[in-house]
Amino acid sequence: MMTLGEAPAVRVRGLGKQYQIGAAPGSSNLYERIGAFLGQKSRAPRDPHPTIWALRDIDFALSRGQVMGILGRNGSGKSTLMKILARITAPTEGVAEIYGRVGALLEVGTGFHPELTGRENIALSGAILGMDRHDIAKVQDQIIEFSEIGKFLDTPVKYYSSGMFLRLAFSVSIHLEAEILLVDEVLAVGDAAFQLKCQQRIRQAVSEGRTALFVSHNLVSIAALCDSAIVLDQGVLRFNGPTAEAIDVYTREFLGMPSGARGVVTVAAASAPV
Amino acid sequence: MKTLIRPPTRWPGLALRELWRYRSICMVLVRRSLMVRYRQTAVGAAWAMLQPLSLMLVFTVFFGALVKVQSEGIPYAVFVMIGLTIWQVVGKVLNEGSLSVVANGALVNKIYFPRAYIPIASALGSLVDLAFGFLALSALLVVFQIIPGWPIVLAPLLVAIALAAVTGVSFWLSAMNVTYRDVAQLLPFLTQMWMFSSPILYSSSIIPAQFQPLYWLNPMAITVDGLRWGIAGTPAPPIEEWLEGIIVAAVLLCSGYFFFRHREPGFSDTV
Repeated sequence: MMTLGEAPAVRVRGLGKQYQIGAAPGSSNLYERIGAFLGQKSRAPRDPHPTIWALRDIDFALSRGQVMGILGRNGSGKSTLMKILARITAPTEGVAEIYGRVGALLEVGTGFHPELTGRENIALSGAILGMDRHDIAKVQDQIIEFSEIGKFLDTPVKYYSSGMFLRLAFSVSIHLEAEILLVDEVLAVGDAAFQLKCQQRIRQAVSEGRTALFVSHNLVSIAALCDSAIVLDQGVLRFNGPTAEAIDVYTREFLGMPSGARGVVTVAAASAPV
Repeated sequence: MKTLIRPPTRWPGLALRELWRYRSICMVLVRRSLMVRYRQTAVGAAWAMLQPLSLMLVFTVFFGALVKVQSEGIPYAVFVMIGLTIWQVVGKVLNEGSLSVVANGALVNKIYFPRAYIPIASALGSLVDLAFGFLALSALLVVFQIIPGWPIVLAPLLVAIALAAVTGVSFWLSAMNVTYRDVAQLLPFLTQMWMFSSPILYSSSIIPAQFQPLYWLNPMAITVDGLRWGIAGTPAPPIEEWLEGIIVAAVLLCSGYFFFRHREPGFSDTV
C-alpha cells in the first residue's frame, strides 16, 4: 500500500485487457477479410468474435521497496497483469506507470538456447534479460555456484537433465539486477532443497530494498515475502491490503476454507525456515 | 526512469528512441544466432563459402558452358559468382527474417524489447556470411586474374541497398506471418521469383530497352549490376538504375517498419 510522501514504484489506474476468444485474434479467414474490405456482406453471417475481459478496472499502487503478492485462482488475470506490467502485451484500457528498470521473471530460461553451453547461456540470457556486461561479470560466479551445475558448465544445455536446466535458468533470473522485479511462479522448480534455496534468495533480494510483484499459489511464501497483497477474481480486483487479510479473503472466498485456515498458513509461514 | 504503459494507438510512432535504448539486445540476438549457426557441423563457417562456390560450379557448367549465356565479356564463372554471393545472403535474410518473429515466439512472449530487432538481427547476422562469400569470390578473382577497379568502393552502398530492401520485405512478411502462416508457404515461391527477376544468372542487358526502367524497380538490379561493374569492369549502370534502386529500397524499408510497428502490439497475443 502506498501512503503519501513515499516514492512510487508502480501505479496502475483503470487497467483492463480484453481478449477475443474462439479464434486467434485477427485471424479471420483471408477471403472474409477481403470481402469485408470490398464492402460485401459475408454469405453466412456469423457472430462477431466473442470477447472477454481478462482484466478490468484494476487500480493499485506500490511504493519503492515494497513487495506485493498477487493472489487468485487460475484464470483470474494474474498472469495477464504481469504481462502488461512487463510490456509483453498491451492493455486495452487504462494506464500503468512504472518508475525504474523492470526485470520480468515470467518463465525460467528466457533466451536460453539448447545448443549453447551453460556458460554461454548465462551470458546471453543475462543480456537478454537486461544485464550489461559488467553486471554479468559481477554475478557470474554467484550464478554458477548457486546453480550447482559444476562440471557441466561447458556442456550444451540440451544434454542437461530437466532439473539441471531449471536450476541454471532460475539462477540466472534471480541474480538479475533490476529495480522492480516481476516474479511469476518461478519458485516451483527443482527439488525441495533447491526450492528452499530459491526462496531464501528471493527474500534476500527483497530485503535489499527491491520492489517486487510476486505471483504464487504457495500461500506460505506469499505470507513470508509480501508486505501487502491483492486478490484477483475473474479479472476484477477483490481485495487490496495487508497480506494476512488478503490470504484470509482468498482462502475463505475462493478456496472454500474456513477462516481458521488463515491461522494455519501464517503459522506455517512463521515457522518456515526461510 | 519512468515508463508509461497505455493501450496502443492505431498508428504508433517510430519509437526510434526506444530502438536506441534497447540497442544492446540487437547485438545479443546477432551474437546468439552466430554462435548457434554452425554448431555441430564438421566444416563450420566454411559452409558460407562452399554454398556459393558449389552453386557457381553447377551454373557455370549448364548456363556458362552449355547454354552459353552472354556474360558481358567476363568469364561466366566470375559473372555468376558475383550475383550468387550477394543473392545467397539476400535469400537467406528473406527466409530467416520473414519467419523470425514467429520463430522467436518464446522471447516475444516472455520479455520486452522492440520486436523490430528480431528481423534486423537476421539481416545483420548475414553480414558474416557475406564476408565469407566475398572471400570465396576473391579466390575466384585470383584464379581468373581479375583486378577490381575504383568503383569497388561503392560496394558497401550496393550491399546496403540490397539489405535495406530485403529487411523492408522481411518487416512486412514477418509481421504478416504472425497472423497468417500462409507466409511460410509463400516464401520458397517468392524467393525463386525474386531470384529469377534479378540479374543473377543472366545479364540485365538482355531486357528489352523499353522494359529496362521497369526492371530497375527491383533493387537487386542495381546491386548486382553495380557490383559487376566495380569488381569485373562490366559496363557502368545508368544513373536512373541507381535512383530507382535506392528509392525502392528506401520505400520498402520505411513502409515495412511502419507496418511492423502497426502490428507489433498484437504480436504476443497472436504468435
